[in-house]
Amino acid sequence: MNGHEQFADDLALYAMGTLEGDERLRVEGHLQECPACRVELEKFRGDVALLAFSASGPRPPARSRERLLAAIAKEPRRIETRASRPMAWWRAFEWAGAVAVVVMVLLLVRQNNDLQRRVADLQSSSARQQQQLLQAKQLVGTLTSADAEHYVLVAGKSPPQPQGRAIYVPSSGTLVFLASNLPQLPPQKIYELWLIPTKGTPIPAGLFRPNPQGSAAVVKPPLPAGIEAKTFAITVEPEAGSAAPTSQPIMVGSRG
Amino acid sequence: MAQLYERYSGIVYSVALRVLGDTGAAEDILQEIFMQLWRNPDGFDVSRGSLPGWLAVIARNRAIDSFRKRRPEVEMTDVVVGIGPDMVRGIEWNRTLDKIRGVLGSIPAPQRSALELSFFEGLTHTEIAEKTGEPLGTVKTRIRAGLLALRKAFNR
Repeated sequence: MNGHEQFADDLALYAMGTLEGDERLRVEGHLQECPACRVELEKFRGDVALLAFSASGPRPPARSRERLLAAIAKEPRRIETRASRPMAWWRAFEWAGAVAVVVMVLLLVRQNNDLQRRVADLQSSSARQQQQLLQAKQLVGTLTSADAEHYVLVAGKSPPQPQGRAIYVPSSGTLVFLASNLPQLPPQKIYELWLIPTKGTPIPAGLFRPNPQGSAAVVKPPLPAGIEAKTFAITVEPEAGSAAPTSQPIMVGSRG
Repeated sequence: MAQLYERYSGIVYSVALRVLGDTGAAEDILQEIFMQLWRNPDGFDVSRGSLPGWLAVIARNRAIDSFRKRRPEVEMTDVVVGIGPDMVRGIEWNRTLDKIRGVLGSIPAPQRSALELSFFEGLTHTEIAEKTGEPLGTVKTRIRAGLLALRKAFNR
C-alpha cells in the first residue's frame, strides 16, 4: 500500500460493494497493476465479513429447513462441478463442443439420409435407363442383324417389289430406314440414301448394301437436327459414297 | 447439505433479516442461497476464504439486491472473503461475535453508523453523505477506519 494512499478509502468502499461509476473503474484499473492493493482489498473483504457476522443471532424458523430439504429432494444434484473459474471457461467450451458435435451428428445423419435417398433414386433411374438401352439395342440388333429374316406382305399374288420405309424425326435428326427386295448391286457400287430437304441440296443419309434376300437397314445416320424433309431417295453410288447424287434415284418416297 | 444448513443457516438468515427487516423475505434469501449451493457446490472455492464469511457477504449482497428489486449484481463466485477459515469455528464462534460487537460498540457512533449504512443498507458514500450531511471524504474515511478497527481487534 505504500504510495497508494489515494486508493486506501476507495478500496474499503470497493470491498463493501458500494463504489460506483468512475471511482469504481479507477480502483479496478489500479488493482490490475498493483499486487499490494490486491492484498489490501482481500483484507478489507475479511473485515467486511466480520462486519456481516455482527448481525448474527436470529435463527430461521424450522419451516425453512423443511422447505429447503423438500426443494432439494425435488431437484437432483448436478453431477458436473467446477473447480475454479478457468475450469468454468473450459467447461463452457466443452459444453459448446458437445452441442456442436450433437448438431454435427444430426446434420450428418440428415445428409446421409438425403444421400441414401438420392442414391436410391439414381439406382432406380439407372435401372430404367439400362432397360430402355437394352430394348433399344435389341431393336437395333433386330433391324441390322445379318440373320434377320424379312417378310414382305403384299395383297394377292403381286410379285415382290423393291420397298423402302423411312421413319424420320426432324427435330432430332433421327432416321431409321428399312428396305426390302432390293436388287443386288454391281461390283464397287453401293446404295446411298438421301434426305431431300424442302430447301437446299440433297443431304447424304447413309450407305448400305442389301443382304442376299435384298433387305437392308440404316439406323441413325449422322444428320443435322431440324431439317424439314421433302422426300427421301436412294441412288446407286461408287463404293465410297458421294457427297451429292451422281445417278438417277432408283426409289423416291414422300411422307405418307 | 443438512450439516451445512445446521451450521450456517443462522448467519445467512441473520444477515438477510438485518438488511430486509422481514422474516419472510429473509427466508427466501436463505432458501435461494442454499439451493444455489446445492446446485453448484463448487461455487465456493476454499481459496476464496471462509465459508461462513462468504455466505454472510453473499447473503448481504442478495438481500440488498432483493431490497432494491434488482437482479443480482454480484455472482456468488465473484465474492472473495479473505479471513482465515479457523476464525469462526466451534467454540470460538461466540467469542468472535462478542469481539466483533465489542469493537462496533467501542468505535465512535458516526463511524459505526457509516459502516452499517454502507453494509446493511447498501448506501454509497455519496448517499450516506447526503443522508448525514457530512463531507464525502469524511464518510469514506469513517468507513475505512471502522473496517480497520475490526481488523486490528483480530490482529489480522
